Amino acid sequence: MNIIGKREKRVDALGKVTGAAKYADDYNLTHQLYGAVKYAEFPHAEILSVDISEAQKLPGVEAVMRAADVPGNNCFGLGGDIRILADDRTRYLGDVVAIVAAESKAIAQKAAELIHVEYRELPAVFDPEEALLPEAPQIHTNGNEIVHHKLRRGNIAKGFSEADFIIERDFTTQPIEHSYIEPEAALAEPDEQDGIKVIGSMQNFYTSHKVLAGALNLPLSKVQILQSTLGGSFGGKDESATMVAARAALLAQKTGRPVKMLNNREDSVRQSYKRHAYKLHYKWGCKGDGRIAAMEIKIIADGGAYTSMSPFVTWRSVVQAAGPYHCENIKTDVYAAFTNNNFTGAMRGFGSPQVNFAIESMMDELAERTARSPLEIRLLNGFETGSVTASGQKLKHKVSLKQVLKEAAKKSGFEEKWNVNREMEKDDGIPDDGKRNVRRGVGLSCAYRGVALGAEGVDAASAVVYVQPDGSLSIASGIIDMGQGAQTAMSQITAEVLGVSMERIRFLQPDTGRVADSGPTVASRGTIMGGGAVKIAAENIRFILEKTAREWFALNDEKLIFKEEQIFVESQTEGLKQLTEFDVLVAKCYAKGRPLFASGVRHIAETWWDEETGQGDAYFTYVYGANVAEVEVDMDTGKVDVVRFWSAHDVGRAINKGMVEGQIFGGVAMGMGYGLLEEFIQENGVAKTVNFDEYYIPTALDMPEMEALIIENPDEKGPFGAKSIGEPALEMAAPAIANAIFNATGKQIYNLPANLEEVLLGRKLRRNTPRASVSCKIGPVKYM
Amino acid sequence: MHYHRPQNINILQELLQDTNREYTILAGGTDLMVEMRQKPLPAEAHILDISRVTEISSIKEENNQFILGALVTHQQLAESIAIQKYAPLLAVACRQVGSLQIRNRGTIGGNITNASPCADTVPPLIVLNAEVEILGPQGTRTAAIEDFFDKPYFPRIKPNEVVTRIRFKKLVPHQKSAFFKLGRRKALAISRINMAAILQVDENNIIKEVRLAPGSVFPAWKRVHEAEQFLTGKTANENNFNEAGRITSEEMIKISGRRWSTPYKEPVTAALVRRTLMLALEQE
Ligand SMILES: Cc1cc2nc3c(=O)[nH]c(=O)nc-3n(C[C@H](O)[C@H](O)[C@H](O)COP(=O)(O)OP(=O)(O)OC[C@H]3O[C@@H](n4cnc5c(N)ncnc54)[C@H](O)[C@@H]3O)c2cc1C
Repeated sequence: MNIIGKREKRVDALGKVTGAAKYADDYNLTHQLYGAVKYAEFPHAEILSVDISEAQKLPGVEAVMRAADVPGNNCFGLGGDIRILADDRTRYLGDVVAIVAAESKAIAQKAAELIHVEYRELPAVFDPEEALLPEAPQIHTNGNEIVHHKLRRGNIAKGFSEADFIIERDFTTQPIEHSYIEPEAALAEPDEQDGIKVIGSMQNFYTSHKVLAGALNLPLSKVQILQSTLGGSFGGKDESATMVAARAALLAQKTGRPVKMLNNREDSVRQSYKRHAYKLHYKWGCKGDGRIAAMEIKIIADGGAYTSMSPFVTWRSVVQAAGPYHCENIKTDVYAAFTNNNFTGAMRGFGSPQVNFAIESMMDELAERTARSPLEIRLLNGFETGSVTASGQKLKHKVSLKQVLKEAAKKSGFEEKWNVNREMEKDDGIPDDGKRNVRRGVGLSCAYRGVALGAEGVDAASAVVYVQPDGSLSIASGIIDMGQGAQTAMSQITAEVLGVSMERIRFLQPDTGRVADSGPTVASRGTIMGGGAVKIAAENIRFILEKTAREWFALNDEKLIFKEEQIFVESQTEGLKQLTEFDVLVAKCYAKGRPLFASGVRHIAETWWDEETGQGDAYFTYVYGANVAEVEVDMDTGKVDVVRFWSAHDVGRAINKGMVEGQIFGGVAMGMGYGLLEEFIQENGVAKTVNFDEYYIPTALDMPEMEALIIENPDEKGPFGAKSIGEPALEMAAPAIANAIFNATGKQIYNLPANLEEVLLGRKLRRNTPRASVSCKIGPVKYM
Repeated sequence: MHYHRPQNINILQELLQDTNREYTILAGGTDLMVEMRQKPLPAEAHILDISRVTEISSIKEENNQFILGALVTHQQLAESIAIQKYAPLLAVACRQVGSLQIRNRGTIGGNITNASPCADTVPPLIVLNAEVEILGPQGTRTAAIEDFFDKPYFPRIKPNEVVTRIRFKKLVPHQKSAFFKLGRRKALAISRINMAAILQVDENNIIKEVRLAPGSVFPAWKRVHEAEQFLTGKTANENNFNEAGRITSEEMIKISGRRWSTPYKEPVTAALVRRTLMLALEQE
């Protein structure tokens, strides 16, 4: 292979470093108006009336809209319950009751303040467990249970009766912010034929497309969505970004003028969905030899105000909740519940970081209880090729769990360090030198992950490759690049198939009219599905090129080789012989009336699922990874420094090694934030961490020395064998750190993040605000 | 909004004499601009941008004293060889403020006048017994740093007054010092607790003088006289420093009572007292 695997320069690099890249807010039009929103003032209240008369009178105001003014569907999302504009009730403080378009942002903001809403306050609930109680306030019409996923395998009663001892633990994980640097923004413009064109910062623009068409009451063909360069997303610019785009589009349709809707950071934090907070109860029946006879798992996820992706996020949890470990008897129940918190949805990891934290902590306790090392216990229980998962799926691809574990352990010197630290930890506990009271620890984690959407959705993606008459190429894809490098990976795949250099390729701006609906760019499916589609498109072009070359040079079935911008023929007698140059062959095709324009569709449908038993082939393939963290814990303050990190991943095939490393380093950074620092704090539905002065993510200085260990076992499902890395890179970092803290201090972490208080005291500290769950009311809320 | 930018100290003084105006002082803007975003100034506000008053932008040494202009930045202090030598705890504190961008703009005058409870230069200035020079319509007055605050966010400064200089004595070689900052991350972290200490021991390792000032521990900044008294005349060692830590935490609870943050602050304050004193003792 000539280009696959190479550290090719990213196709978007130049624009990003020079500033030429255009993000959503960089687009402006003459005569554009500016949008503003009127927020909910109670986390849960009935809306009795919305008085917009004063706002409308303000000079410079062009439109004020309420839910009743939406011409089409005001509701959208998986549960059909997310409101573009709150209608009957407010359900969280990020709800928007009305929107304004005006000549300036300041006027629009002023007008929004002049909107008067009459409410009837309703009791609110902020704890998902309480929300499931019969007496809890009802947030929607059919109870507060969003979903209940079950998995039943074997017989746990029998499993527990055969166990020598039981480990039973409760874990909690916190909601976190995606922290994309670019907040949501959209510019909507009425077109010449009653349609609307929107350019904006959206992760899943096909979904946004349908929502906007529905809201505007227009056919899909009259709504065009262009995807601007995205300043990060991490799963976050789905419904939140769609809401912003839809509000801009509604105002544009109403006024006949372009409308810009732009969130500042506080708006973004207030409106957007978060990663689900989980409460996890794990009970394992264990054998003296370290095997697991039974697992009983109960998980409650805080879904917040709307359904959003809760059913799918928690589905991934139910599939993966038992980890990559053998166990014959498993009973898992995963619930998601409505509350009056910010709604929760997709975020890099998608239901796996929470369960991985619990599983991997349990594993380390099991190691401790059976006097084995964390590596031994995982090698003892871990999956191999042919193993059967919790959902009864037999793994037929190469299962490399033990390979990644051994690689991570070997490169980090895990076993030796773990033993040394453990002895130190059992020492007297008296500070060594007064100035520094620091203990070292190493922690191991591993995980497996189903690739792409799995049985939760139709998995198909499309792409178009166009070789222009001069031999330059353009590619369009339904998979989008939000900074992860999808365009570069797809360009490399195309360049490899056609034997051309990357310089020839230009990636076109994603546009709903250009490529067929490819589903969302989520679930680490960009390379395997989008890359698969682009490979097929490029092969379709190559087919025309080969046919033309064979005719031209009177060849039969000799093997043609495309590389270094040339076409060669391989003959047994003469070896490799140059036939012609790529440009010349392209010109020949056009001269023969064979334009080089082709599309490709990749569709994989080999999954099934039974909702009642939680059994089935959940995903068509899986990836495996292992992490080792080395930490220093300040025993006086609870401050944890991650000093080194090793991250081993079987990616199938690395299309671009540099980008795989980028994903791994970024994933570790994000996983470290999840493990140690980040927490989206709400008190009675009020967000307390609304900007980055209070919401801490790791800085460059906090990052450890990191080593990416790339392992390649090509998978027949992926283009050139490639699988995925985006989410795996993040999903097991936090438990590696938590286990390292355990190794250093002898105390396990049960609640994320492992911040100063958690490490020192084993719990979080909060200001004593009276809790308003279930019964009592809270007053009107204003930010800033 | 009105904006004034005097070019020198005389013009500054003239402007301050117009007592019909109530000025909002702008130095580096790293606190003020953040506040203005959250709460815009009223239209009739007068901003007095003092950043061009060059007379108060440098570090001067006079005899055995430092005279810091109010506009001296954190980065200037962190990099100053003289400060590193004769007031190393202040250099250490300034080096840990925010990020390079913030250190390049943020000033020491702004830091103390903003008077956030986690201000990193305040505990060092308190143990250095610094004096604050304040220019007002009537001329100049001085205040001891410990008297400069009612409590955090409330400096004792009148609307038409500007902090112009901060002075303190250079430390002599046998005065060891240390500053410790506990933040949640390594950069851009506000102090959860910070701590400054100056320690002087004789040839027998007996403590002759000690000054100890924590930040974010007491409702208003102060030295921990109880701990200082305990230590004076005793041997400088870990045991005694631990006891000083215990006394400090006890004092904290005596003043503020047990609060939501006490379970953490009680042991950690004690440990940081010990640690800061150890760091001072072993200062090179
Ligand atoms: C991202 C970030 C990180 C930060 N990190 C830290 C940190 O780690 N540690 C820390 O201590 N601080 C930190 N700060 C706060 C701030 O940078 C410092 O307090 C800085 O020293 C303020 O100085 P300034 O010149 O920018 O003040 P300004 O913002 O210009 O002024 C602050 C206040 O003081 C008044 N004022 C300023 N100068 C004078 C004067 N000479 N006389 C009278 N009044 C005056 C102003 O009117 C205003 O009320 C941080 C700030 C930011 C934005």
